[in-house]
Amino acid sequence: MKNTISKYYPLIPVFIAYLIMFLIGFSVPGMWQMVALLAFYCALGQSWNIFMGMTGYVDFGYVTFIALGTYGMSLGISYLYHFEWLGIGIIFIGILLALFLASLSALLEAFIALRLRGAYFAIACIGINEGLRYFIEGAKLWGGSEGLIFSGALMQALGREVANQLTTFWADFSVFIIAALAAFLNMHYMRSKIGYALTAVREDEDAAKVMGINTTKYKTIAFLTSGLLGAGVGAMAWGLKLGYVYPGDVFVIHYTVECIVVVLLGGAGTLMGPVVGGLIYGLSKYWLAIIMPGFQLLIFAPIIIIIIVAFPEGVIGLLKSRLRGTKYKMFIE
Amino acid sequence: MVSSQLANRESMIFTLLAGNLAHGLLLGGVYGMATMGLSLIFGVINVVNVGHGQFIMVGAFITLTMFTALGLSPVVSIPVALILGMALGFFFFYTVMRRLIRAPELTTLLATFAIGILLEEIAKLIFGADFRGYNWGVGKITLPITTIPMSKVYAFIGSIVIALFLYFWLSKTRLGTTIRAVIEDNEGAKVCGVNVGWIYALSFAIGIGLTVMSGVLLTMFIPVGINPYMGGVYTLKAFVIAVLGGLTSPYGAFFAGLIFGLIENGAYTLFALIPGVAPFPLTISLAFWMLFFLLLVKPTGILGK
Amino acid sequence: MSLLTLMNVTKRFGGLVAVDKVSLEIDEGELIGIVGPNGSGKTTLFNVISGVFYPEEGTITFEGRDITHLPPYKRAPLGLGRTFQISRPFSSASVRENVAIGAMFGAVAEQKTSVDDSLGMADRYIDMVGLGAYRDKAAGALTPVEKKLMEIARALAMRPKLLLMDEAMAGMNPKDIDDMVNFIRKIRDEEKIAIVSMVEHIMRAVAGFAERVIVMHQGAKLVDGKTEEALTDPRVVEIYLGQPSDQVK
Repeated sequence: MKNTISKYYPLIPVFIAYLIMFLIGFSVPGMWQMVALLAFYCALGQSWNIFMGMTGYVDFGYVTFIALGTYGMSLGISYLYHFEWLGIGIIFIGILLALFLASLSALLEAFIALRLRGAYFAIACIGINEGLRYFIEGAKLWGGSEGLIFSGALMQALGREVANQLTTFWADFSVFIIAALAAFLNMHYMRSKIGYALTAVREDEDAAKVMGINTTKYKTIAFLTSGLLGAGVGAMAWGLKLGYVYPGDVFVIHYTVECIVVVLLGGAGTLMGPVVGGLIYGLSKYWLAIIMPGFQLLIFAPIIIIIIVAFPEGVIGLLKSRLRGTKYKMFIE
Repeated sequence: MVSSQLANRESMIFTLLAGNLAHGLLLGGVYGMATMGLSLIFGVINVVNVGHGQFIMVGAFITLTMFTALGLSPVVSIPVALILGMALGFFFFYTVMRRLIRAPELTTLLATFAIGILLEEIAKLIFGADFRGYNWGVGKITLPITTIPMSKVYAFIGSIVIALFLYFWLSKTRLGTTIRAVIEDNEGAKVCGVNVGWIYALSFAIGIGLTVMSGVLLTMFIPVGINPYMGGVYTLKAFVIAVLGGLTSPYGAFFAGLIFGLIENGAYTLFALIPGVAPFPLTISLAFWMLFFLLLVKPTGILGK
Repeated sequence: MSLLTLMNVTKRFGGLVAVDKVSLEIDEGELIGIVGPNGSGKTTLFNVISGVFYPEEGTITFEGRDITHLPPYKRAPLGLGRTFQISRPFSSASVRENVAIGAMFGAVAEQKTSVDDSLGMADRYIDMVGLGAYRDKAAGALTPVEKKLMEIARALAMRPKLLLMDEAMAGMNPKDIDDMVNFIRKIRDEEKIAIVSMVEHIMRAVAGFAERVIVMHQGAKLVDGKTEEALTDPRVVEIYLGQPSDQVK
């Protein structure tokens, strides 16, 4: 029994970090927005890391999931708000729609993209994102290029008071929940058969197949999990919170860049990495937005390059190799 | 009365289609030439330049600046773009790419991606995010099916000339043959005493140079809509064309470009006839469906091996 | 019933015929050696059997079941294990984890094990090949010979009925080769596995353990028979320029 529980020790620092962040945001006036931003990046990083960290595949089009999640929530509210008897249930329907759309996309992508390797996979992922965006605009689907605005609809459905609470507190709070969930799933996968299978896939995919590993199945599980969590973040942090959506705003590859930076900074494939990366990146972005607005990407692009070239392991990766063999190892993953 | 009106409308559509296809063929030549750099780089150092579109953007801005600030015709911009492009290529190769030769594929994808973003942001810094354009008035040709601005014709001629030039250079010159050897068999070339490292650098530089040059030709064709973020769409199109033509073959890329140009314009014409859709974004979305279909059916491309 | 049957299996790469209408049969518990010069198609044959490639012609049957076009990951649970000519360890994982992976995924369905059980089982096989001291070492840090031993342990953890060993003894000195030969005999006796070992020219080993020898040449099966007969066959001698008849004593 002890063996089983101690497997999950590395989650402790992660949860403590999230708890501290939440408490600071909750109790210190004016800090909630910043903390919400940090949680956003941690959650995204944690979710993206589940697939990338374990398989080594880089999903360049990850933002597709976030975007579809946003649309799911948006569609739910926009089209169902006049069913007032739904009450708060409308939010849950929005979440379900978000997850539904994301899983459709994930399965489609998995069917095609996961059969590809390296460069072809990356190209396919980018293609999916751009293709979906322009299809929505082109076919004038879901509001076409103008998108949907539904903050008003939300207020109509639930009343001003509730709507306000949702958009200013609960939306951000759920991002914390998603981040914690992502961390837990990440850990759980890593320690289970899925983790071992994907390690094998990452190291040598052909040898893994000969060992009896159904590589497509395991890659798909990780991919789907990663995507659904991302959709959740989109539904909450973008959809519910902001009250509008349009293709040019959400299907933007730059958000994938942010996920990459967060995960690379902290250490790809590690558990704590996205948390550290999310904090560093979130704080830097917040700070830069104040002193030098509009320059974030200009600064981060060379930073990504430098990290790739010089520090591929990230902060946590370096820490792990330092701590190997000591008793602290079990707290860091 | 009615039947002749119908016939008239049909022939109008036909004329429209034929005219647009003609434009599409010309554009295809430019697309094809624009993708040759991508194929060359992939063939030699096995790197997919995800920042491809951004280098095209660089070429576009070079043309814009030289035309509006110095009053120089876009034709002059072509060699300037080549030189600047190669300089950029060497720069990025020796600072970034060289260290990543042995790294996992995906690291190089990330690196070229980041380079692309860097270029966008620098362009935004220098030029601002607005959409710009220029007007190169060199007249037009009138054909029975359509009117074609001469600038487009020049762009097409330019792309063919450059493609031919590349063809002869790769097959007839010693340096070119060496590059082809490295594409075919990396290890074998090393054993024959080829300084593979230098070939890598040179090929990357030439590839980038070609790409930046294609930006010039592209703006000759479409002299509007120039802005720092214009590159992304072209990257997607280039990927489709490269996969269509076989990711490693520059020649295949050119012909695939022609095909793509035809399909793109043809589709646009047809989409425009459907009420209630926006044809422009839908056409771009078509590129995605094509890519998907291709990757599913024949990832090595129709014209590649 | 024979364990593995190949009927007229042919594998082409473009214009090159790597495996040319090869037919053979392997029964339970047999110890077989496949020999042949470089390029004779041995590794391709193994790749076709384990599913890395599918043949253009011919059929492969395992325990009566047609596996010709079965994906590789479905062949392992049937009882087909293999090691590679150039070791392919999962470098960043420990030796223990590597071997455990074999147990986790490669075993026959009824014997599929959990992560914890697999890790436990891994120890048994690690000790069997003598790598006990390196249990927690990263697989990528082992010497080439140690990597080969680890691969064997990993393949054994899959509880195969047939083990394909590809050049397992390359790079070993004569003493190690003798140990390996004894080891092969031992696992055949204890684990009841049929072992097909592929060696290029280490006749000492082949003569030491093989009950039957198949000689391949230019993709085709040249000779298939009892060890001594096969190795002294004039055609075989001819390919090897006289070496075998010296060493088979």
